[in-house]
Amino acid sequence: MADQGLMATSAFLDWHPPTVPGLALERRETLTIASLAALKGKKDALLAAIRSTYGVDLPQRPGRVESAGLAFVWAGPDQWLAISERGQNNRDLEVELKTALAGSASVADLSDGRVILRVSGDRARDVLVKGVPVDLHPRAFRPGDVAITHASHIGVILWQVDEKPTYELAMFRSYADSLAHWLFDAAAEFASAR
Amino acid sequence: MRIACPYCGERSLDEFVYSGDATVKRPDFASPTAAVDFTRYVYERTNPPGEHRELWYHSAGCHAWLVVTRNVATHAISKVESARDVALGEKSQGKDAT
Amino acid sequence: MATPHKYASNSTQPNRLNSGGLIDRSRTLHFTFDGKTYSGHPGDTLASALLANGVKLTGRSFKYHRPRGILSAGSEEPNALVELRSGKRREPNTKATMAEIYDGLSATSQNRWPSLDFDVMSVNSLLSPVFVAGFYYKTFMWPAALWEKLYEPAIRRAAGLGRASDDADPDTYEKATAFADVLIIGGGPAGLMAALAAARTNARVVLVDENAALGGRAIDDGSDIGGNPAHEWLRTVEAELARTETVRILRRTTAFGQYDGNTYGAVERVSDHLSFAANGVPRQRLWRIVAKKVVLASGATERPLVFGGNDRPGVMLAGAVRTYINRFGVVPGHRAVVFTNNDYGATTAAALKRAGAEVVALVDTRPQASEAVKRVAMDTGTKLILSGVVAGAIGGKRVTGANVRTQSGDIVRLECDLIAMSGGWNPNIQLTTHTGGKPTWNDRLHCFLAGTFPPHMTLAGAVAGEFSLAKSLSGGAAAGSAAADQTGFKAVSVIVPKADDESDAITPMWRVDNPDGKAFVDQQNDVAVTDIDLAEREGFRSVEHLKRYTTLGMATDQGRTANVNALAIMAELTGRSIPETGMTLARPPYSPVAIGAFAGHHREKSFKPTRLPPSYKWAKENGCVFVETGLWLRPSYFPRPGEKDWLETVTREVNTVRNAVGICDVSTLGKVDIQGADAAAFLDKIYMNGLKTLAIGKCRYGGMLREDGILMDDGTVARLGENHYFITTTTANAVKVVQHMEYCAQWLWPELDVQIVSATEQWAQYAVAGPKCRDLLQKVVDPKFDISDAGFPYLGVGEISVCGGIKARLFRLSFSGERAFEIGVPARYGDALMRRLMEAGKEFGVCAYGTEALGVMRIEKGHISGPELNGTTTPRDVGLGGMVSTKKDFVGHVLGNRPGLKDPERPALIGFRPVDRSQRLRSGAHFIARDAAPNASNDDGYMTSVAFSPSNGHWVGLGLLKRGPDRIGEIVRAYDPVRGGDTLVEVISPVFVDPEGGRVRG
Repeated sequence: MADQGLMATSAFLDWHPPTVPGLALERRETLTIASLAALKGKKDALLAAIRSTYGVDLPQRPGRVESAGLAFVWAGPDQWLAISERGQNNRDLEVELKTALAGSASVADLSDGRVILRVSGDRARDVLVKGVPVDLHPRAFRPGDVAITHASHIGVILWQVDEKPTYELAMFRSYADSLAHWLFDAAAEFASAR
Repeated sequence: MRIACPYCGERSLDEFVYSGDATVKRPDFASPTAAVDFTRYVYERTNPPGEHRELWYHSAGCHAWLVVTRNVATHAISKVESARDVALGEKSQGKDAT
Repeated sequence: MATPHKYASNSTQPNRLNSGGLIDRSRTLHFTFDGKTYSGHPGDTLASALLANGVKLTGRSFKYHRPRGILSAGSEEPNALVELRSGKRREPNTKATMAEIYDGLSATSQNRWPSLDFDVMSVNSLLSPVFVAGFYYKTFMWPAALWEKLYEPAIRRAAGLGRASDDADPDTYEKATAFADVLIIGGGPAGLMAALAAARTNARVVLVDENAALGGRAIDDGSDIGGNPAHEWLRTVEAELARTETVRILRRTTAFGQYDGNTYGAVERVSDHLSFAANGVPRQRLWRIVAKKVVLASGATERPLVFGGNDRPGVMLAGAVRTYINRFGVVPGHRAVVFTNNDYGATTAAALKRAGAEVVALVDTRPQASEAVKRVAMDTGTKLILSGVVAGAIGGKRVTGANVRTQSGDIVRLECDLIAMSGGWNPNIQLTTHTGGKPTWNDRLHCFLAGTFPPHMTLAGAVAGEFSLAKSLSGGAAAGSAAADQTGFKAVSVIVPKADDESDAITPMWRVDNPDGKAFVDQQNDVAVTDIDLAEREGFRSVEHLKRYTTLGMATDQGRTANVNALAIMAELTGRSIPETGMTLARPPYSPVAIGAFAGHHREKSFKPTRLPPSYKWAKENGCVFVETGLWLRPSYFPRPGEKDWLETVTREVNTVRNAVGICDVSTLGKVDIQGADAAAFLDKIYMNGLKTLAIGKCRYGGMLREDGILMDDGTVARLGENHYFITTTTANAVKVVQHMEYCAQWLWPELDVQIVSATEQWAQYAVAGPKCRDLLQKVVDPKFDISDAGFPYLGVGEISVCGGIKARLFRLSFSGERAFEIGVPARYGDALMRRLMEAGKEFGVCAYGTEALGVMRIEKGHISGPELNGTTTPRDVGLGGMVSTKKDFVGHVLGNRPGLKDPERPALIGFRPVDRSQRLRSGAHFIARDAAPNASNDDGYMTSVAFSPSNGHWVGLGLLKRGPDRIGEIVRAYDPVRGGDTLVEVISPVFVDPEGGRVRG
């Protein structure tokens, strides 16, 4: 019995998105996520290690960089989230980064602590302004920008992926249904079937 | 009110938690006057009009503690600094002095 | 507007003009007022449609039940308040002047009984000498006890405005945030020019206006702009703004508050003009607008003149008369007297004539005719009465005439059905004062202008004292350009169209001497000149006293048509200047805002977010009863068929844990991952007990103090590696503890190498407790891990795997007093692990248990929890004094040693059981020595936690008792007067089960 494995279940227990032209809502729950924080005095070593291993520079401001499906998202001063699909090889960023960053960063597994919701399309901004108090106008917020803030009173890390625009919101897992419920309500105004 | 977090940019008051006077320094627990020093540190505050240096926590943001220089009569904020940087600066100055 | 309008001949709307206005005559809408059906057109407000239908009486006044009509055409309306809609959507005190009609709208007049036409309470009017200012204070002083039972209910029935619905509001509301380079408040001529000028620079512009249609007084006054009617100019401006991608126009949106940090509150009435909100569309939307620069173009509000009967239906502000004519195509009267102290009266007389009404006389208080007055008198042949006043309006439910006192003092009676009055204009400067700005009095314009106001704000148009259309247009253009320029957008030149530069000459007259009838100042609260006289005589001369004594300005309209007149009258009475008398400052909101708009999405189930623990779905399927703990919904207990109450269920759950095995979701406990070379040193600073000796692979109980020596939180500290710790906090304090740790790491000891990551949600964590716990866990833990007592002793911790390689953490911890583990897996597997454990545990008789059984078992073991960690207790108070380090520096060390906190007389934790074992205990009961009187001076402490102990077969309690540990064996009273409890209890050890602790280890 011990070796039967366990089935992963969604954090969104009540998922019924309205059909809205110009809005796509997508749950991203097949990710591996690790937090990394620079050890005291080792930030340069950490930057160098990430650069040599993954070929990108960790953002020094609220930003997101991506390299071969691996994204680094600023998560506070000298802290980042590393995010990637687990994929067929069941990638585990905690294990991977602990090796790559030994001596320069502390790493913790957050694959399940945060769940990510993708909001994209022409209507994305109209919906998000109903709960996100950050200026998402293209003059103020671009692909690659990150904001740690709240959405409908729920703490989120939010970033823009592309010009569609596509946004992603990372929230603590237990809030998933409450956040989705707000998003569905906020989107209902634009739903096609009245 | 809006506070310009040095890391996140300008955000609304509801993302922050106020936590009091940033000018008091935690005393040495081993000092012979520790009991008096800590009583002052925890309880005694002046409340002058004009500019205060205050500790704020960006609780709904980046979790940075901030030192905010704010005029309590007008709510005008003249400076926002990283509390960690301020504390490290003061500690290194203290070392230089001794 | 050269040709006079004609009344529509066959219309059911006798006062509707057959052309003009922004209404859509091609469509007819039907609505009811007090049950009678009327018709109107899209673009009408309820007020304009009622006037079109010849309805003048719209309500009864607050105190005297006097008949009242429509005074204004805007949000300042004090009189024409109605109940709109019905049933759950019934909304009282809605201004007929702001409510747009739709097909099927139903409105009801307020404050009358049995009907608007015949109101019994209007007898109050005859008693008006009695109902003076301060009447309630003076009359109902004694006996005070009668206030609640008699006076107040009776007064509230007789006086008062509309009735709110008793039901929950069925509509939805939402909130949104907008950002702008330039926010423009007011869509009149100044605001529109500002918007054009700013928009052309490519700045991001938000324009808000409280009306359905833009244009402001340029439309209302029927002006020409650039040689064409204003509505043509408006059409081209709106078209350009609509084309500009960086412009957002919010119509039907009131900017109601100005807050620190360039932040404005505005409410958008999204669906109020519709019979019902479309599916998914909110009724109203509350905007928080953050702007770099703001152009305030909020216009001005006309002042009524204060004369006898100035509240009669048919007495109307001159500007409102023109709004009804020009914006709505309605002429509100056929025979008008115009009464004025400024040049706006003359142009109003001309407008009435153009609309086909007869102007019986232009009564101007000034001795000499100004150029504007002369011109109108000459052009239209209007009879001019200089140095005259309307002493009183004649009529009951509608005006039938005016008694005009001429320069000689003679009274001339003029037949009329409309008195249009203009007492001058008050700039709408409310938003400039919300954060402490102070207005200043202007002696030329005789009004308050903004004095000090926030530096990000510019004023344009009437609000800035630029009353003429030409000045409004040019002022608006300049303000819009400047605002954009200051936000980094290069100004583009804007051609200001030509318009009239009307005269703003005024000679104030604040009240008519010897009025013929009651002269009202605040019409909504029924405050008359005589009340101000009385206040002055009785010494309530300061503005603040005047306001509170007479209730002036305290109605739902905040005295927008009343305050300045009242202030000026008080100044006259006291012989002071107006600035010496004081000024009226406004607080948000500018107009009333529905509470629902402030709540937005956050009501009922969404009042606050709900956090669901990993086993939620399984628990729900299994009939669990949940309890809210903070935002979490935690399993409380799991009733089974046949169990008669919660106590039976909880007793069964406790017995199962004590005799077999139970499973409890403890994922909600705060979990924090702490790493870094100085992690150990850091933890030593924040915990009261020593942690340096904690070995890798072990965990330890720990307590945190506040700097004042009081317990803040408790939990466990597990050491996973050389520089890696994993701590737990209580569910309630998880956020607070992380904040405290960040404070210590960033501010107190920034030199330490420590990294803090909240990991609460990463792990689904279950307590598996009871003598069979290992047998059960053995079935899911991968075989290579030894979880025997030898391989995994009490307080051990390990990173293991379960169910064939799924990473997990195992802790040998017990809160129940039984042998127990806590097992954690990544949260996505939480649901599956719960199901697997329950399946695997069947053979051992497993059950799930919730917070109730958890609480019972911790009380049976004397473990502290929330009721003991209550912000007043020290470690010593709760029996943890021995844990506190005496050597190291940690938060709370020094002040925790204060003599007061170490006083042996302080109540300390101890156990209790009822002397009569059949009696129940109650937390909150106070301890009194057995023979002492039950009073506060004999209070020896209180019961913190109680439970029915299945293991003991009777109730047990924990409590804080003075010198508690020294009083074991003593019998004291548990005195609970609130719930009528007075129980003798025996003081005993707080560990009611397995005091040696053998079960936990073995």
